[in-house]
Amino acid sequence: MVRMGPMTETPVLAVENLQVSYGPINALRGCTLEVRAGETVAVVGANGAGKTTLLRAICNMLPWSGAIRLDGVPTDRSPTHKLARQGVIHLPENRGILTTQTVLENLQLAFDTYPSKRSFGAAVEEAFAHFPRLKERQAQPAGNLSGGEQQMLALARAIISTPKILLLDEPSLGLSPRMVREAYRILRGFKARGMAILLVEQNVHAALRFANRGYVLRQGAIVRQGEADVLAHDTELFNQYLGFT
Amino acid sequence: MLVEQIVNGVVLGSMYALIAQGYTLVFGVLDKLNFAHGEVFMLGGFICLASIALGASLPIAILVTAIVSGLLGLLVEFVGFRKFRSADAHITAALSSFAIGLVIIDLSQKVWGAEPVALTLPGTLQTATISIAGLKMVVLRLAILAISLLLMLVLYLVVVKTSLGRRIRAVAESPTKAALFGINVTRVNQQVFFIASAMAALAGLALAVRTGYASTDVGFTFGLKALAIMAIGGMGDIRGALIGGLLIGVLEALAFQWGLGQLADVFVWLFMIAILLVRPAGLFGTLVSKEVRA
Repeated sequence: MVRMGPMTETPVLAVENLQVSYGPINALRGCTLEVRAGETVAVVGANGAGKTTLLRAICNMLPWSGAIRLDGVPTDRSPTHKLARQGVIHLPENRGILTTQTVLENLQLAFDTYPSKRSFGAAVEEAFAHFPRLKERQAQPAGNLSGGEQQMLALARAIISTPKILLLDEPSLGLSPRMVREAYRILRGFKARGMAILLVEQNVHAALRFANRGYVLRQGAIVRQGEADVLAHDTELFNQYLGFT
Repeated sequence: MLVEQIVNGVVLGSMYALIAQGYTLVFGVLDKLNFAHGEVFMLGGFICLASIALGASLPIAILVTAIVSGLLGLLVEFVGFRKFRSADAHITAALSSFAIGLVIIDLSQKVWGAEPVALTLPGTLQTATISIAGLKMVVLRLAILAISLLLMLVLYLVVVKTSLGRRIRAVAESPTKAALFGINVTRVNQQVFFIASAMAALAGLALAVRTGYASTDVGFTFGLKALAIMAIGGMGDIRGALIGGLLIGVLEALAFQWGLGQLADVFVWLFMIAILLVRPAGLFGTLVSKEVRA
């Protein structure tokens, strides 16, 4: 089962005044956002707005300043692997799966991430129930899977790791429109089970249809925030910040 | 005596292979060469010698050699590689590990002198022979071969079948992805250095026991040959290191058999060049087996 946050107002993830610089370039200039228990939050913005940098900073994959709290507790630059073990599961743009290992080995590694009372067999059966295609291909190296199947494996990994919060980087990238719909159908399943999700997307429409709340990131700063369906119908927002006409 | 020479070559080759496994394991996870590795191999003979001088039996000496050299491997990782993990630190890591190797040689020569030191075991362990199918063979050599092959089989099974093996392969593919899977990359590097160093030192122990002396100058020659073997087998591939080791061992033995012993090293290097010209990635390598690291 998905672990729920505590029944208080403390957000699962709170990011305050997050700043990241690549040399002289300020990639993030003081971002503040939060994800509450059971909530799905989308961060949208054009290419280069700092979306990937935001997720990488949360996982301490690069130097940052500001404050990041999990369930109210500062992460204090805990190393990436410790954050993963605390339930911060980050699926990066390249999906993060190990292409030289088999589907089953990937799931076994995901299972090892977080101590669990259930057996690996039970966990993997649950994942295969969601993704029957992966069961057929469980002995294949993940690198032999199609792009869509690799995305399925990444999402199956997310189920098995029982995240406290799932960080998703462009889940629709490189997928056919049919696979994008399929990926979001699965993600809606995660949402229905109460998984806290922070999603960054260039595919603004898909992301805002999916999320409860949204933030708009532009040149490293958050310029808008609000309920996702309000943002989705804000034509001024699209014209001004997202570069659509 | 051709068959006998080939058997000797296989025994020698299994020792080369043990050393090469360590190079290839470290190269697999760190993408860097550990130039201190040959000297850890050399030290194995002396650690065994010292343990026996202190009254240890051979099995205890073997255990002590594996553990002490494994711990030395952790030190090599910390001093020579911990700070030099980035892809542009190849030269720094190479130089620092090379320097560690020189320190090991110098200190060993201060302690044990530059001349080989006799390592004689009680009883007939070093001389006993056995006749198999009309061939008279030294039991010890066969034992070394059997134990070397067993160690490599165990290593292979660990890498392919166990949780530790999955973590090692994950770091080898991408330290970034491995960390996102919750894997402590530093810990895996340490584990790999421990295993690699212990295996090399056991090969050094085997050499010292077989030849009857420990010598401070074997690290360079054996170390360099094991590097060639890794390249022949395919960088980062543990099966390749085994096959490459056996091939080189037999090649050297044949050189001696045909009265060309003085040219044995020349054959080894020419063989390496020939293999790499035909298969630049080595026998089992692919050169593109690694993803570009995110």
